[in-house]
Amino acid sequence: MRGVFPFAAGLAIMLAAGWVGFPYAIYKSRPQPVDFSHKVHADKAGAKCEDCHAFRADGTFAGEPTLDKCSSCHAAAMGSTLAEKNFIDRYVTPGREPEWESYARQPDNVFFSHIAHVKRAKIACETCHGNHGSSDRPRAYQEDRLSGYSRDIWQVGERAKTTRASMTMNGCVDCHRQQGLSQSCLDCHK
Amino acid sequence: MKSTRRDLFKFTGGAAVGALLSPAPWRLVTDTALWSETWPGVPRPATGEIGAKYTNCSMCPAGCAVRARTVNGQPVALMGVAEHPFSHGVLCPFGLAGHHLPYHPARLKQGPVAEAKAAAMEALAKCGKGERAAVLDLRPGRTASWTYRRALAQWTDAAYLAPPRTLGGVVAVNLAAAKIVLSFGAPVLDGWGTLGNAIAARDGFRLIQAETVESRTAVLADVWLPIRPGSEVALARAIAGLLRKEDNSSLQAAASQTGLREEQIVEVARELAANRPALVLDSQERSEILALNQLTGSLGRAIVTRRETPVPDSWKKAAAETELDAVADRSIRLLLIDESVPGAYVPWSAIERKLVADNPVVVAFAWSRGGYGRHARFVLPTAVYPEGVDDIPPAVDSPLAMFRLSNALVPAPAGVVNPAEFVAGLAGISASDALRERSDAIAKTGRGTLFTYADAKSARAKDVKPDDFWKALNQGACWMDDPPPRTEIPKLASRRATAPAAADDLPFAVVMADAYALPCSPILSKVYQESNLRLAANRAALHPSAAGDCGVKDGCRAMIETRSGKLEVLVTLDAAVPKGVVQLAAAASTLELFASSARAKVVRI
Repeated sequence: MRGVFPFAAGLAIMLAAGWVGFPYAIYKSRPQPVDFSHKVHADKAGAKCEDCHAFRADGTFAGEPTLDKCSSCHAAAMGSTLAEKNFIDRYVTPGREPEWESYARQPDNVFFSHIAHVKRAKIACETCHGNHGSSDRPRAYQEDRLSGYSRDIWQVGERAKTTRASMTMNGCVDCHRQQGLSQSCLDCHK
Repeated sequence: MKSTRRDLFKFTGGAAVGALLSPAPWRLVTDTALWSETWPGVPRPATGEIGAKYTNCSMCPAGCAVRARTVNGQPVALMGVAEHPFSHGVLCPFGLAGHHLPYHPARLKQGPVAEAKAAAMEALAKCGKGERAAVLDLRPGRTASWTYRRALAQWTDAAYLAPPRTLGGVVAVNLAAAKIVLSFGAPVLDGWGTLGNAIAARDGFRLIQAETVESRTAVLADVWLPIRPGSEVALARAIAGLLRKEDNSSLQAAASQTGLREEQIVEVARELAANRPALVLDSQERSEILALNQLTGSLGRAIVTRRETPVPDSWKKAAAETELDAVADRSIRLLLIDESVPGAYVPWSAIERKLVADNPVVVAFAWSRGGYGRHARFVLPTAVYPEGVDDIPPAVDSPLAMFRLSNALVPAPAGVVNPAEFVAGLAGISASDALRERSDAIAKTGRGTLFTYADAKSARAKDVKPDDFWKALNQGACWMDDPPPRTEIPKLASRRATAPAAADDLPFAVVMADAYALPCSPILSKVYQESNLRLAANRAALHPSAAGDCGVKDGCRAMIETRSGKLEVLVTLDAAVPKGVVQLAAAASTLELFASSARAKVVRI
């Protein structure tokens, strides 16, 4: 029994380090600038994803809404929450854009067309973004220290609960293969 | 408890197994690869506002219309302009990746400009009796070409040189009018003319491809005639004899030389006679082959006279175009070579014998050292597509004159030289506004139509003010001439055949794979070459059994030897290459080696 102990100790230590310590070490966390609740906006204001994350007239995806969009409702406080008060004081009143951290941003060498997937292929936002749209407060943004990618690209955490595919290249290729669609390099790497 | 050395090994072993069973090492491998993508020097497109810019591709003489998707002003993707009346929204793979070219590792960004200018001025001053300055322009017909001709008119006995060509100048091809195209190795569907125009016209003609190797055009042709290398003229003579209804004496000889059956040749002649106009093309534009067009009803219909794109009247006192063969040997003291845009390649051996023996000055304007830069005393860097502003002459398959600009989508490096302005500076003339002057001259004629890319609208040129005409060209537009009021029957220039010397003791006939072109996107050329979709300049393709006879295998190094030199290559086995043939890419090195000999032997290294 004693003979097995050093091997088991080494194994246990590295398993713990790899599965628990490594994720803490490899990712650095940054909080989102605003304590934004998707849930409140969806439930109380009846907002849908595309109300704020809209397509431009030329079909390109606008991504995170700009301050103009938020200010159209929140020029003055609509409720009594501290989060809303902080948002107005820090951003709306001085006219400063919140520096949102995008959980799902793809690297620069990837061309991804939202309109082709949302409007044409009728893929629901939750398919890739998980239950982010019903979250009550934003998670901290976690960035891989080496690659600079968002942790969400790897299909972990909250998003994994409802996601059928990761946002890695393999995820894209798997889905295209299942649907019998083109998998050319130049589709995404233009 | 005392730990032993054995325990330490066990602990290490357990730790190693534990590490392998955790995600850490696997993620580190992936992350390190991704991290390397963000190293300094790796081009990264900017993030920001998405927009579009329009231009025309200048990577080959086709000049296809291009829409560039931009992010923060930086082009990130190129595509065609679907509504364009001539290129029809088609871009070739090279054109689709053209915005990578500025990042090519082989490109030059600095050069000895002041030294080259001083040496050129000194050479001009030293020009004695019977000596001259000359400009070799690989793509004639541009506004820059007119600048060279105007500059050379300032010097005594100077020569404006351009690669010899029968089609593509004032004589052009109208594919839409042809009912049959008989092509002797011309890559009709793979880079010969304008790809979009060839595809649009394809349904209207039957394509017969006479070629030794089963090229991409041969695969797409209705009929492929696999002829033996060097037998093209014999086939043309036999067809001419049949069309003239002369005796069939040449038929049997042609069948023997080409490897075709007599009935095949008779059938081709019958098809050409029955479907007029039947267009005959040749990759080398040999007079004897192109002369078939006189018998097939092409002249004036599928081969037409094209009006020249207008130029200001003050430019017309310019030096005439001269062929290199017409220049006396050992007479050029100063040679300026513009290879900033791809064009036909003139072998250096032909140029070298025209230079004076005593210290000639050769200045090459190039974006890399891969072409004439290997021989020139000075190599001055130029802008590459899509950095420079230049016009693109009408393509060989455009029956109408055209004027379109390749606009600068990204800024050029500070050290590059504009060849036309350099030469104009030597001659003391101004060329900085030459494109604008030509634009105004075209607008002044009121001829033709201006098609603007952003809104896909056409307007008569006479309804557009010169300022607006110029502005539209700079934002992406194309001027197309009106059809001429009367049809002129073109005269095909008769050229002396420059057949390479026979060397029958060498076992392999040499066939070039593609038309000569400068490299494009480093990523795309890597993909093409690694997959062998296109032969790289350092590769030779052989039939597997022929390779076995030479003792060479796929991927091994070999030496291609001719009477005039040798070239080290990597061997690619390709069953589509006939036995007795070695296929090479048409690069500067190969064209120079095989200019004087079309046969070679393959030696294993």
